[in-house]
Amino acid sequence: MIEFSDVTFVHQNGLKALDKVNLEVQQGETIAIVGENGAGKTTLVKHVTGLLKPTSGTVTVKGTETTKASTAQLSRTVGIAFQNPDHQLFSESVHDEIAFALRNFGFSPQLVENRVTWGLELFGLEEYRDSSPLVLSGGEKKRLTLACILAWDPDVVILDEPTVGQDAIQKERLAGTIKQLGSAGKTIVVVSHDIEFLWPIQPRVVVMRSGRIVADGPASSLMLERKMLEEARVSQPQLVTFYQELARRPRAPFVDPLEVVRWVS
Amino acid sequence: MMWLSGGFIFRKGNSAYHRLDPRVKLLISALLFTATLLVRSIFELALVIAFAMAISATARVLRRVGRTMLLTATFSAFIFVVNILFTRNLETSAVYAIRFIAIVVSTSLFFITASPDELEQVMKTFRLPRDVVFAFVTAVRFIPVMMLDTLQIMDAQKSRGLELEKGNLLRRVRNMIPVLIPLVVNSVIRSGELAEAMESRAYGAVARPTSLVEYRARGADKAVALAAVLLFAIGVYSFYFVLPTYLP
Repeated sequence: MIEFSDVTFVHQNGLKALDKVNLEVQQGETIAIVGENGAGKTTLVKHVTGLLKPTSGTVTVKGTETTKASTAQLSRTVGIAFQNPDHQLFSESVHDEIAFALRNFGFSPQLVENRVTWGLELFGLEEYRDSSPLVLSGGEKKRLTLACILAWDPDVVILDEPTVGQDAIQKERLAGTIKQLGSAGKTIVVVSHDIEFLWPIQPRVVVMRSGRIVADGPASSLMLERKMLEEARVSQPQLVTFYQELARRPRAPFVDPLEVVRWVS
Repeated sequence: MMWLSGGFIFRKGNSAYHRLDPRVKLLISALLFTATLLVRSIFELALVIAFAMAISATARVLRRVGRTMLLTATFSAFIFVVNILFTRNLETSAVYAIRFIAIVVSTSLFFITASPDELEQVMKTFRLPRDVVFAFVTAVRFIPVMMLDTLQIMDAQKSRGLELEKGNLLRRVRNMIPVLIPLVVNSVIRSGELAEAMESRAYGAVARPTSLVEYRARGADKAVALAAVLLFAIGVYSFYFVLPTYLP
């Protein structure tokens, strides 16, 4: 579905943001990209939408090289919800905000209505249907941006820091939505610092540092590598740390932390 | 866009020009600005621009001033077209268009070599009200932030299928609405938050606050200022009384 081949990206000021990145994401996979600030996570996902073009190497999405398609063309396949919801909300009503992309893609009025209603219900925004998106709280705005993306049913869904400003219940609901989308065969890419949020989803985890991928594997095994995570400035899930500490004790009830983690997951 | 806008934004530099007293830098830019308004021919304007470029080279910002000129050229072309439509005079239209470039270059030379802090100090020396100075300097300081915001908003809207470059001029202007509204809203929110943050850090608690930095002109600053005024006087005299005798 998504393939990065030897992708290097250098900013105009000469800063190398991606350094020979190779990554393959299969259809239906849920992948989390983690790493310290400035590791190149957002730069990486911006290549999937064609907002950034690689300095060298190639990025293909569903067989289309991103250099050969516009962002508007790619966005039919790839939906990205950016970190700051205030960077996209402009319509007069929440309804129109969700309908914006659908109208850009030429959906029929009936289908626009159906998809908008679906999005409003999914994220509990029905009561704000005719309100201005600008009067919503931070968490509601964030949910609205997610509804805007999911409304046109893209094959690939990219969520950049989706948990910022969300309370515990909303985080749980969001994790549930991600699992649901994964089950429906969507390819999901989540960029997040929130390891506790990612842990129950059990995605494939890609750890980035200084524009490079330093680790790639399932969360259940990658999150055990405390030293590697510390070097990449990624925190370990508290549950994993707890069982690892427990396993070190002489009369530990559990010997194999990996087994315990699998059991708890 | 960001590359072009870099021609208006201050970046730290270590040239002799950067080290000048900001008041002297302002004087030089003001004299260049005045010169562009006083000159009447393309040749004279070219001389003023060449002089500004020479100063830019001294300040090691020639490339960035070049970017400023490149960005200004679009507006300049528009001025040229409008003037040629109304005046039907090629030279007059060209003078107006080039004058616009010269005006922008002379002002940007100050803004890209003087930090917002220096700008604040310069404005304070003119005894402008503190709130006015603060508002102006903050606006300047936030230009790069707003540039970045604009790019991020454009990215977000393009990702929702908006094609900014599609259609005729009117359509393109209309396509900018989804970019401009979040930009304005963000700016208003940010200004409110900034005001609250400033007040919570005792802004306005003292009627006449003291200043950590107080500029005192050095000998070199005074010499450069004097040279600038002399050159300006010689230039203007030449433009009005010497050059006309040589030029057709």
